[in-house]
Amino acid sequence: MESGWGAMNHLIEVNQITYTHDRQNGETPPALCGVSLQIAAGEMIAMIGSNGSGKTTLARHLNGLLLPTTGTVRVAGLDTSLPDNRQTILSTVGMVFQFPEDQMVATVVENDVAFGVENLGLRPAEVRQRVETALREVEMWAWRSRPPHLLSAGQMQRVALAGILAMKPRCIVFDEATAMLDPAGRRTVMEIMHRLHQEGLTIIYITHYMEEAAQAGRVIVLDRGQVALDGSPREVFSDAERLVKLGLDLPPAVKAAAVLHEVFPALPQDLLTLDDLLAALPHAPAGVVPPVAVSQTRPVEEFEAWIEVSGLSHTYLLDTPFAYQALQEVDMRVAKGGSQGLIGGTGSGKSTLMQHLNCLFKPFTGRVRVGQFDFNAPEVTVYQVCQMAGLVFQNPEAQFFEQYAGDEIAYGPRLQGLDKPVLRQRVQWAMEMVGLDFETFKDRLTFTLSGGEKRKVALASILALQPEVLLLDEPTAGLDPHSRKELIAHLQALRAQGMTFVVSSHHMDDLAVLTERLLVLHHGRVEMEGSLGEVFSDAEALQALGLAPPPAARIAEKLRQNGWPIPAGVVDLQELKNALVDMPGGMK
Amino acid sequence: MSNFEFMQRMTFGQYLPTGSVLHRLDARARIVIFTAFLTAVTVAKGLPGLVLSLLLAVIGLLLARIPLGYALKGLLPPLPFLVILAVIQVLMRSRGTEAALFQFWLLRVTAGGLLEGVILLVRFASLVLWLSLTSFTLSVSELILGLNLLLRPLRRLRLPVDDLVLMVQVTVRFIPFLTQSAERIVKAQASRGAAWGQGSGGVLRRVRQALPMIVPLFLNSLRRAENLALAMDARGYGGNAARTSMHELNFQVVDWLAVGGSLLLAGLMVVWGVVI
Repeated sequence: MESGWGAMNHLIEVNQITYTHDRQNGETPPALCGVSLQIAAGEMIAMIGSNGSGKTTLARHLNGLLLPTTGTVRVAGLDTSLPDNRQTILSTVGMVFQFPEDQMVATVVENDVAFGVENLGLRPAEVRQRVETALREVEMWAWRSRPPHLLSAGQMQRVALAGILAMKPRCIVFDEATAMLDPAGRRTVMEIMHRLHQEGLTIIYITHYMEEAAQAGRVIVLDRGQVALDGSPREVFSDAERLVKLGLDLPPAVKAAAVLHEVFPALPQDLLTLDDLLAALPHAPAGVVPPVAVSQTRPVEEFEAWIEVSGLSHTYLLDTPFAYQALQEVDMRVAKGGSQGLIGGTGSGKSTLMQHLNCLFKPFTGRVRVGQFDFNAPEVTVYQVCQMAGLVFQNPEAQFFEQYAGDEIAYGPRLQGLDKPVLRQRVQWAMEMVGLDFETFKDRLTFTLSGGEKRKVALASILALQPEVLLLDEPTAGLDPHSRKELIAHLQALRAQGMTFVVSSHHMDDLAVLTERLLVLHHGRVEMEGSLGEVFSDAEALQALGLAPPPAARIAEKLRQNGWPIPAGVVDLQELKNALVDMPGGMK
Repeated sequence: MSNFEFMQRMTFGQYLPTGSVLHRLDARARIVIFTAFLTAVTVAKGLPGLVLSLLLAVIGLLLARIPLGYALKGLLPPLPFLVILAVIQVLMRSRGTEAALFQFWLLRVTAGGLLEGVILLVRFASLVLWLSLTSFTLSVSELILGLNLLLRPLRRLRLPVDDLVLMVQVTVRFIPFLTQSAERIVKAQASRGAAWGQGSGGVLRRVRQALPMIVPLFLNSLRRAENLALAMDARGYGGNAARTSMHELNFQVVDWLAVGGSLLLAGLMVVWGVVI
């Protein structure tokens, strides 16, 4: 270890670094310009910023994966630019990446965890011991001899983390490590991060979820390659206007607290997490009208089903030892112009159900009907159905193949053999629907678009087929708060025009504003079904399935428990506000 | 059922960890044993030896606790070709002066020819079974580890054994993910009205039709490769320390016995019916 480095110094020192991706081409703006940071051992830091703000680039400087164009980075006093320091720095600062499956090196879990330790040249017995400790720490020991491609995304991410832990680092950087995970997977990874922090590790994590950022001890906000804000979550999240300008948002608990504060002035001002907020909610004073009892038996709603699924089962890898049943006896009915939300963890069968709704999968057992198409009829195929029911896959931009955004959108209608002028009109219409200006965007190269713009192009490419039903699989996954808000607004506008929706999402907030009814899937079975209010007010049942209602519904439920007369069916913040204003007495 | 389920067609080459006696042998022992039997099946000339190898393959499957039905299913796809080959073999080999068992016009079948046909069938059947048994009981990681250790002496000749073996490992690891990726892309493009596998017209038109599938697959693979390289970098691959391995294999008496026994049986397969 270099002399002069002592306990008083910082674990990581970033000193005036700039970084330019392409040094030959002077026109590209630097990804980082003049960033300085000190990170002390034992800190827990969240890094946030809109897409393209330089978070990932900065993170990769912290363990020497990238070297600054100018300026220096020191880890435990060692300069990252010196090749001799490389191995020491890599085993001091470990990194977990965004895409779980891209990090798996070996064909079996335990070998993958061993990979990093083996690179350190340790004795086999020592390697085995570290692998076992690390796998037990992330609770994946039971899975040690599985091939990684048979794990869920959340499990793979835990394996990737174990691979880093086994190297015994002092600091771990998580680069959007929770972005691809379901709520249960995200919660587990966050819990492990907190536990490691308590054990003395330095934790740095990049996230798009403000509720995750609010759990850190320190929040660093990046904007166009510079540090825009750096402070405690309380300081950073006190300036809502500034955050929105930076493409970010307030954590849901902070937003809700602001609304509640008008009604309950005694509520503390500094609540950052939902748990704190729920604990601080006041009890109703005696004399407040007790909550209206909600009748348990609701009238059966009569409607004509536009989408009708009955007794649908599906088994993958049939007739092999790897066969597993993805759907079991699923029933679903959606009215014309209605909107159905699907929730459930990874592997619950949501995507499989979605792919049955545009005939990618033919019903194996059971029946599926969408509009006039009976999918059990042998002549009905996806090629006819795609003009009726458009499916937008998760991360659809991974399937782009045209150079220009306009051509990408025109692909579907062109295959239908439309004439040039009609085709042009279609593309223009589709782009307007998602808020992309036709003249500006039609000739833009797809790879130069931002994450939010790409997602809009993908949506437009399905809308261009003018489907009556829109099937959306995780429509907002991986988007920053600003792009997410925009996309949701456009989807709401489409809903208002009478389009029928089926949306699967891990974001309960999105479902609360996009859908009317919910279907909860668990291991391929329908566990709950009903209106938003009905499903979201049963927090206990949801929690048993590894899910949680959106913040507003949880707050409403807690207020009800505390004796306030909040009506059933409150699922978003606006409804909660209205309910509180309408509340008879006891408010002021 | 679906046209889009690619994984279902990938049954051959599957590893089935049943934890049997066979699975517990040293990886190097299994590599040597399977190599010996596969070589023996290929070079054996006599019918008794080949029948013995077929029997041994079935015993091997039972020892490995593999459902026999599942293993025998692997024989079905090549069966029509094998039967045709066997029939041709029978007819071609029945030319000699030997008395015909059966004759019709130009078609003549002799005992010797029939024997050749049967030998061909038995040889291919046992070859398929031995290959299946190898893939069922020897995981890719064990194969890689075993190869690494077996090839280790070649390090002295300054051959980059570790890098080569790692290359094999990463390639194998990529296959299931590539299959999944291809499946997703084809589904997504089909959802936009692309007619997958319904190509008609000239070569150019067909290539043009395939582009929407190939371009994203290529780009996704590049992205994956880049991410994997980063992840390997971050875990210190290519450092100065000599890589070690978490697994230590130690050859035990059982392994020596298994290898010895197998080599004897493999030798017997080659010579039985020819020399003795």
